[in-house]
Amino acid sequence: MKVELFYTPGCDKCADGKETLKATAERLVPDVVWRELNVIDELDYAVEVGVLTLPAMAIDGELVFSSLPTPRQFRRELTMRMKRAV
Amino acid sequence: MTLTIGKIASAAQVSTDTLRYYEREGLIGPTSKSRGGYRLYDRDAVRRVRFIKQAQNCGFTLTEIRVLLDLRAGEAACCGDVRRFSLEKKLQLEAKIKAMRTMSKALDHLIAACSDESRPLDDCPILAAFER
Repeated sequence: MKVELFYTPGCDKCADGKETLKATAERLVPDVVWRELNVIDELDYAVEVGVLTLPAMAIDGELVFSSLPTPRQFRRELTMRMKRAV
Repeated sequence: MTLTIGKIASAAQVSTDTLRYYEREGLIGPTSKSRGGYRLYDRDAVRRVRFIKQAQNCGFTLTEIRVLLDLRAGEAACCGDVRRFSLEKKLQLEAKIKAMRTMSKALDHLIAACSDESRPLDDCPILAAFER
């Protein structure tokens, strides 16, 4: 599973809680690929995914959160996807 | 020093109708009234109107400009907040450009399919494509 966090440097909203979410993903999903994408460097890809607000999060190329989720929301989403994949 | 709406319009190079519209939208407001009942504005109004015009040139809507003006006036905000807001605007603009490119390509296909201009309307492939 690939988790992509779209952010912009210097944005407090983007940094808040990021490490907790990363740790959650690494704990729950054994094969998780965690990517942090600076929107300035990855603008075309961000537009392709449908990112309109920052920070935003995509899972396996699909925009899932248009702002940073709470750890609970994130856990629920990851769990649901893992069940679906079985 | 206070200015009438006409003076503000002239200094900021906009019409008085535009200023009244900005006023209805809550973006500018008079600071006092003359004895004759005319609305009077301070010098900052000119700066504010110029700010609105420049932001509009970058695609911001009046609602978004109100957010920018609030950020400018607020002590809690920093340049990073304005930057993030501007980046979000850019993402919206790029998404629109992408959608318009797709529309333009769709039209290319339709125009190419309609190579014979002498066909009757009933056989027009463009109209037929829209009927599908």
